[in-house]
Amino acid sequence: MSHAIETTGLLYQAGKNFELRDLSLQVPEGSIYGFLGPNGSGKTTSIRLCLGLLQPKAGRITVLGHEIPRESPRALGRIGYVPERPHLYQSLTVDESLRYHSAFYPTWEGKFADELVGRFGLDRSRGLSRLSKGEMGKLMILLALAQRPDLLVLDEPTDGLDPVVRREVLSALLDYVSERSATVFISSHLIHELERICDWVGVMDRGRLVAELPMQSFKNGIKRLRVTKAPSLLGDTPFVLLAREYLEGAAETWVVRGWQAPMAQYFDGVGADLREIVDLDLEEGFVELLRTARQAT
Amino acid sequence: MFQVILFTQWKWSRAALVFPAVLVFALPILTVRGFGDATMDPLTVISTAQSWGPSYPIMAIVLGIIMAVATWSSDRNGKHTYALSLPLPRWHYVLLRFGAGALLLAGPALLLWIGALVATSSASLPPGLRVYPTALALRFTLATLIMYAVSFALAAGSSRVVRTILLTLGFVVLAQILLSLLGSEFDLIGPLGNWLFDWPGPLEILSGRWMLIDV
Repeated sequence: MSHAIETTGLLYQAGKNFELRDLSLQVPEGSIYGFLGPNGSGKTTSIRLCLGLLQPKAGRITVLGHEIPRESPRALGRIGYVPERPHLYQSLTVDESLRYHSAFYPTWEGKFADELVGRFGLDRSRGLSRLSKGEMGKLMILLALAQRPDLLVLDEPTDGLDPVVRREVLSALLDYVSERSATVFISSHLIHELERICDWVGVMDRGRLVAELPMQSFKNGIKRLRVTKAPSLLGDTPFVLLAREYLEGAAETWVVRGWQAPMAQYFDGVGADLREIVDLDLEEGFVELLRTARQAT
Repeated sequence: MFQVILFTQWKWSRAALVFPAVLVFALPILTVRGFGDATMDPLTVISTAQSWGPSYPIMAIVLGIIMAVATWSSDRNGKHTYALSLPLPRWHYVLLRFGAGALLLAGPALLLWIGALVATSSASLPPGLRVYPTALALRFTLATLIMYAVSFALAAGSSRVVRTILLTLGFVVLAQILLSLLGSEFDLIGPLGNWLFDWPGPLEILSGRWMLIDV
């Protein structure tokens, strides 16, 4: 499998309090990769490193086959980037912004841009400083899409947008991806939103990548089990035990990853009773994953 | 690409440039105001022209700083994210921005030249005196460009760099004041000024006589 983004052993320090350690990401080509993590976990820093906006202390980054930061201008020509905060020039109008942006991208498609302006209902003569948050979000996505990129890097693109605008933006994004087979690397707090659109997921916490797996495995493999009479020392388990919580009497709650139905036999073998299996939604799975990762460090 | 960079720079700087540009056009005309009589004392004419002289380097400094600040202010507001995410090497972007600013500064320089030509053609001067509209305009252009280049480099730097430079200058001034209060004759600012404003100092062009009319 080839990768649109690949980082190996990345190290980056920002001041004394934050460090990105041994970051090894692999974003498969053609995938929609959701980049999850709590605030301050290093998602934006990782993105900025991948685009060559920051220089790592150590490690290797390849984006669309280009070495970053050495070849970042060439890579950036094929990347549509939407940063966390609006970065466009506030003194320009929508039309002027389109003309400015298009001048830097030979792949820019004016007709498609016009189509998106109509679809998003943007007023070309309006100044950027007078746009609402939703309109600004739409304009940034428009600029990223109309340059016809092979890779879209979106840093919380729908953060703070109302559900109607969010749906419009995501729908335009998905249309583009299905038409072009582009790769999308999207970071977001909105876990349920990523659940709907992503096929891969990476989870960051405290500057480390704590999990990277297909969305299907992430969604299906995490369960909460209700167990009684389990021995205190477990030995090898066929699943990954993320958390074990003692309840009243001999009852316990386990959170496990990599669960499959035949694994229920394990409990007979250790003399325990498996009373209930509960599917965790992505958000609960995400929280459990972070809790386990933090306990391990 | 250069066209859109030039357009943005024009949009950002035009409001701030209008007044200095008009002033620069008016300066030579104000200098020769009252020089309608060829029987005037040549020394009076020269001393009047000389009294207007410092206005030209001051305007060159003002224009250079205005353009440099306008060039980088929008990028600074966005923490340079837009500029850095564009698909061109950093040096190329900086060169485009510098070039656009330099080209726009040609406008006020041209206005000064036109103003100087109009002023000198309408003035009646005593015999023995000569006018230097083109030389003055060329010197003004060069001074503006130098001030723009210096300010451009400072404005492009991070806030930390600018703060460090300003703090260093503040420290030098403070140290000089303290030395003077303590009765010391040690001069810190003088050598620094000489280094900057005497040949071959980088700002030498700003010092000396700026004369529209001379012998």
